[in-house]
Amino acid sequence: MSVRIADGVIWLDGRCLVEDAETLLLAIQQDSEAPVDIAGVQRLHLAVLQVLLVLKPKLRGTASNAFLARHIFSHFDFG
Amino acid sequence: MDELLEQFLIEGRDLIAQATRDFSALLRDPQSSAAIDSAFRAMHTLKGSVGLFAMQPAELVLHGAETMLGEARKGTTALDAGHIATLIACLDQTDRWIDEIEEAGELSAQASVIAEGLLVRLAPAGPAFSPDSAGKTSGHVDWLGALRVREADVLAASGQPLTAFRYTPDSECFFRGDDPLAIVAAVPELATLAVLPRDGQWPDAESIEPFACVSILEGLSAAPLEKVSAAFRLMPDQVICASLDPIGEQGLDQAPERRLGENRMLRVDPARVDALGGALGELLVAVNGMAPLAEQAERLDRGLAGQIRAIQADLERVTGSLRRTVSAVRSVELEPTLRRLPRLVREIAEGLGKSVEFTIAGQGIEIDKQIADGLFEPLLHLVRNAVDHGIELPERRAVAGKSPAGTVSLNLGRDGDTVVVQLADDGAGIDIARIKAIAVERGLVSAEETDALTDASARRLIFAPGFSTAATVTQVSGRGVGMDAVQAAVEALRGTIDVESTPGHGTIFRLRLPASTLTTRLLIIEVGGERYGVALDQVVETVGIESSHLRPIGGGIVCVLHGRTVPVLDLASLLGGEARATPQVKLLVTEAGGAPVALRVDGFAQRIDTQVRPRSGMLAAIPGVIGSTLLGDGTVLLVLDLPELAA
Repeated sequence: MSVRIADGVIWLDGRCLVEDAETLLLAIQQDSEAPVDIAGVQRLHLAVLQVLLVLKPKLRGTASNAFLARHIFSHFDFG
Repeated sequence: MDELLEQFLIEGRDLIAQATRDFSALLRDPQSSAAIDSAFRAMHTLKGSVGLFAMQPAELVLHGAETMLGEARKGTTALDAGHIATLIACLDQTDRWIDEIEEAGELSAQASVIAEGLLVRLAPAGPAFSPDSAGKTSGHVDWLGALRVREADVLAASGQPLTAFRYTPDSECFFRGDDPLAIVAAVPELATLAVLPRDGQWPDAESIEPFACVSILEGLSAAPLEKVSAAFRLMPDQVICASLDPIGEQGLDQAPERRLGENRMLRVDPARVDALGGALGELLVAVNGMAPLAEQAERLDRGLAGQIRAIQADLERVTGSLRRTVSAVRSVELEPTLRRLPRLVREIAEGLGKSVEFTIAGQGIEIDKQIADGLFEPLLHLVRNAVDHGIELPERRAVAGKSPAGTVSLNLGRDGDTVVVQLADDGAGIDIARIKAIAVERGLVSAEETDALTDASARRLIFAPGFSTAATVTQVSGRGVGMDAVQAAVEALRGTIDVESTPGHGTIFRLRLPASTLTTRLLIIEVGGERYGVALDQVVETVGIESSHLRPIGGGIVCVLHGRTVPVLDLASLLGGEARATPQVKLLVTEAGGAPVALRVDGFAQRIDTQVRPRSGMLAAIPGVIGSTLLGDGTVLLVLDLPELAA
């Protein structure tokens, strides 16, 4: 499971594939205040990224994947 | 003409030129407050000026443009590429209206309708001002402009050309198992990436459909276009790539600010400057008389000869400096000559359904007024030709993997005493097989002759009178004025024109023109017991070879120079005299029709800097003569036109 909710935080881990988009969408809709921790993401499907772009949840953590850190998450506000 | 109107036509066009420069600067840096301020002032002043004439639609449009710039100035609105395109459209229209006022004294009946259209685009509530319009791309035309704006920092920091890509995955692609992000992650040397909403804004949180792709991915890569295209080889129809030159437009950035104290400049009747040039020419002739005098004195008294030579050197130094000063007075910036080109390119491209990015670099160089005046027509024709015949329609460009917008760039520069004008397009290039076929069809050459032609010579067929490559003669390029007229106009300015082309990649026309027409560097040659002058800028080189190296071929004679076979003509025979056989052959190499031709002469004498009078009276009837000049001893020297004689 790449999307998991624990301690009021939505954790993204490993390979976030297309089917994770819906799970993430539901998770954020359930608790729009919950931060999304992206430190463990190794791969991010565009469908999952679209959910983050549209719902704009609070993000935290630093992506260890260089492509994601440089080209994707650098455009988000971490607050 | 009414003096007030006359003044307005000059000042109004100056303001348009100023605003054009400012908008060019804004296209690269939409936040440049200096450019916003300057454009605001130009629009404001222009609005005041048009108010004095029956130009109410222009006044309304300029008011709208001024308001938009005013908002940007206050920081209420950040300008984006869409806003700037609207402002440029307003400026172009005002320029057209100024033309109408000049020609007809009033605006056409459509003016108010056109103005309304522009006002809608300018309206604060209209689409041009919606905050998401930067990402919204109604057509393919402006994505590059928006990207240039968005990634200005990356472009500025990169010292090398970058490849831009725009990948629009279809909305069903997730169902097919595509992950556009993974595809983009594989783009080599990715410099920057932006994930943008396809419809200009992201859907609402409530209406998001997680398995529909609603994104566009745009980015820049330091890898060449082929490698970037290769990363998208599985979805060629969803990707557009384009090469961006980060330093290609720096010339526009450096558009000089108006010099302080410009109002203190003198306005001088050009006739007086011409008189000054005439007197200088006579002075040069007199100074040229010193060298033979010193030679004569040498035989009588070496000390006296030395003194004469010393005075000669002084006189040459002073007249040289005077010549440069007078040339500078006669020099004008090319910029006013060229300021209409960008608008004309936009109009021509629009009429043909093409999108073209036109850039000019080096327009600040100064050249002789006569050359500047004579350059506009041939240049306009070349630019039209590039947009009409060079740049392909957007669909065809997309098939070829090019960006839908073609680029046409005009570069101007000085090379010593020569002005080099280069016009390059990234269009289809010249199809040599087609050129040959058309030339044969029009009876310009025979099929056998075309087989023997090199590619370079075949390309020059486009300059032959009666040649026109358009399958359908379009309204733009028109009938009757072909590239032969361009060549004739350039040659009338004592210039040359060359063409290079790579099929599929574009065409470059290169014009070389003398920077000054005031004086001409002449080489004096001896032929058939007479002395003649030839302009040094027509001489490629002078060589001496053994007569045994001349070889008869067909009906003519050739020799090999730098590994190239060059036809040799006898200048004495061309001038109606007798050819002489000597063991040592002196050759003067010139260029005729783009290829070198050697002319056999008897000897070379000194070089002089003098004023050539255009041929008139009896001389006008002699072919192959440019004009005449006076030598220091009072004799008249005929100045030959080498390309004409060699043609």
